Amino acid sequence: MAPASIAISLPFRLLLPPRPFRGRATWPRAIRATASGDTSGVAGGERKVALERRVGDLKALVASVPPAVASIQRNIGPNFVAGFCLGIAVLAAVARQVIIRSRERDNRGSVADLVRRGQLKSGQRGTAKLRTYDDPFNNPLVKIDEDASTAQMFGKEYRLAPVRLTKEQQELHQKRRSRAYQWKRPTVFLREGDSLPPHVDPDTVRWIPANHPFAAASSEVDEETAKQNVYQKDGVPSRVKAEHEALQARLEASNDVTKLPSNSSMQHNERPLRLSGKPFGNLQSSEFGSELENQDIEPGKHSCDESLQSNRLEGQ
Amino acid sequence: MAFAPPRLLPLPAPAPARCAVSARHHGGRTAPELSGPTPRVVVVTSGKGGVGKTTTTANLAASLARLSLPAVAVDADAGLRNLDLLLGLENRVHLTAADVLAGDCRLDQALVRHRALQDLHLLCLSKPRSKLPLAFGSKTLTWVADALRRAPNPPAFILIDCPAGVDAGFVTAIAPAEEAVLVTTPDITALRDADRVAGLLECDGIKDIKIIVNRVRPDLVKGEDMMSALDVQEMLGLPLLGVVPEDTEVIRSTNRGVPLVLNDPPTPAGLALEQATWRLVERDAMTAVMVEEQERPKKKGGFFSFFK
Ligand SMILES: Nc1ncnc2c1ncn2[C@@H]1O[C@H](COP(=O)(O)OP(=O)(O)O)[C@@H](O)[C@H]1O
Ligand SMILES: [Mg+2]
Repeated sequence: MAPASIAISLPFRLLLPPRPFRGRATWPRAIRATASGDTSGVAGGERKVALERRVGDLKALVASVPPAVASIQRNIGPNFVAGFCLGIAVLAAVARQVIIRSRERDNRGSVADLVRRGQLKSGQRGTAKLRTYDDPFNNPLVKIDEDASTAQMFGKEYRLAPVRLTKEQQELHQKRRSRAYQWKRPTVFLREGDSLPPHVDPDTVRWIPANHPFAAASSEVDEETAKQNVYQKDGVPSRVKAEHEALQARLEASNDVTKLPSNSSMQHNERPLRLSGKPFGNLQSSEFGSELENQDIEPGKHSCDESLQSNRLEGQ
Repeated sequence: MAFAPPRLLPLPAPAPARCAVSARHHGGRTAPELSGPTPRVVVVTSGKGGVGKTTTTANLAASLARLSLPAVAVDADAGLRNLDLLLGLENRVHLTAADVLAGDCRLDQALVRHRALQDLHLLCLSKPRSKLPLAFGSKTLTWVADALRRAPNPPAFILIDCPAGVDAGFVTAIAPAEEAVLVTTPDITALRDADRVAGLLECDGIKDIKIIVNRVRPDLVKGEDMMSALDVQEMLGLPLLGVVPEDTEVIRSTNRGVPLVLNDPPTPAGLALEQATWRLVERDAMTAVMVEEQERPKKKGGFFSFFK
């Protein structure tokens, strides 16, 4: 209890002093004034009385201070509660600040953050009220009059200077550049440190540092598949299809209830044990959707499907 | 190197361009004339970062879509993806070209359609923290562009937002392109990079390169503290697609997720980008550049401030 009371009396010392301090601040000036009066020795009597009275007041004030302190200590009960509340409030404020700071550090500058802080209006973003179209060269605000070599824009009139660049000058610049910059567009990207594949011409290689956004570890699809994926016009995307088929094959293969297949080709599918015992005919049946939806068997794929849908809604 | 005629002639037949100009005087054209076979694959590039490639791509794409020219905007900046933000589609990008390659979805499923602009689609190369398969990095977009060309309803334009620099991301972004929009600011560092990039593009057979000079401040140009668009053109020797002034509305439109060209009332930069879109569609180039305000007593802010 003792350390607590010391800690709590601190704010009270901070709170109480103003009154005595104010008193003291006025007193010394009065005393000094009377003291200077004393040395001059004029009208000493009246002033002496006043001085004595004031010194007496001061003594009384000084005498009254210890009881005040004592009374503070006596009233420590309710004060302690008040101090405690104050302390809690200060702690809460600090904690809140810390939380806010750390949250800001997490997503400072994100659009969501800016919207939250009211610097961006979420409702407005991306929704454009379409303006009816005006010829940008000739409308009430803009008139470009190339013959008269003037342009009026937003109520101001500008002088137009004709473009002087000729075909010949253009070609000269092209020639200059083709001499200055001799370049062949690289067609193969390789990660720095990797070895050069045998069939690749070193002149066509662009070496990419490991921290570059293109420098994926190793791609799971070969070039031909990737190309087919880009050109695919309809149907189920190839990897999604392959995963479905592999999952189906695994389900058919595993008739054993307790055995968990640990096939490395299916990283996504850490299937719950009990599911493999259920009778599954076709994965793509409605059963697949309804029963497995919440089992999180393919976290990556589910999120993908959702986004597929959201994109597809717009893409129609 | 494919010396295809359209690449050799960045300024095709001047005669139709003249016609277009004269048509403008009689007012009220509602759409530019589409020139050349579609889809036209255009890479928006710059060399230097932060000069406005992404802003340009978003606005060209939005403007095209509003002209009912279907556009696919491809964010090829795998490391610093931003195009989705400028188009206000950041919450809707779930699938990317990387997922298409891996066989997790089809290409049409990875195209994110804009809510208001039915003809605008976004394709991101990959998610920020995921990595694209290294081996076909340079081929990915070639396949994508080709697949879009063969799609049942191919887009009129494929706009590729190129990452800064000239490394693997650049190589990937320019691989399928037939034309380039070279964005630069009127300062010497951006210009040097732009010249280099133009050189690399030409080496790769992309001869149809046009420049957009971005963030021009006419007041500084007038005081000769800044290069004018014509100075820039003189240094690069390339036709001008547009001159875009510095405009605070650019940042506001980014924050709203609505490309500037859709602003109502129009803003100076939005209007310049819209004009650039028309020239892009018509394979036209600027024949004259606004230089300075004509000496004519005017209300200070002009019409624009009145509308604001
Ligand atoms: N005309 C302009 N006026 C004012 N700011 C601009 C203009 N063009 C681009 N910006 C700003 O410059 C910054 C970089 O633009 P961005 O399009 O992302 O460049 P890049 O894609 O080339 O890196 C953005 O903050 C954008 O708001
Ligand atoms: Mg960018």
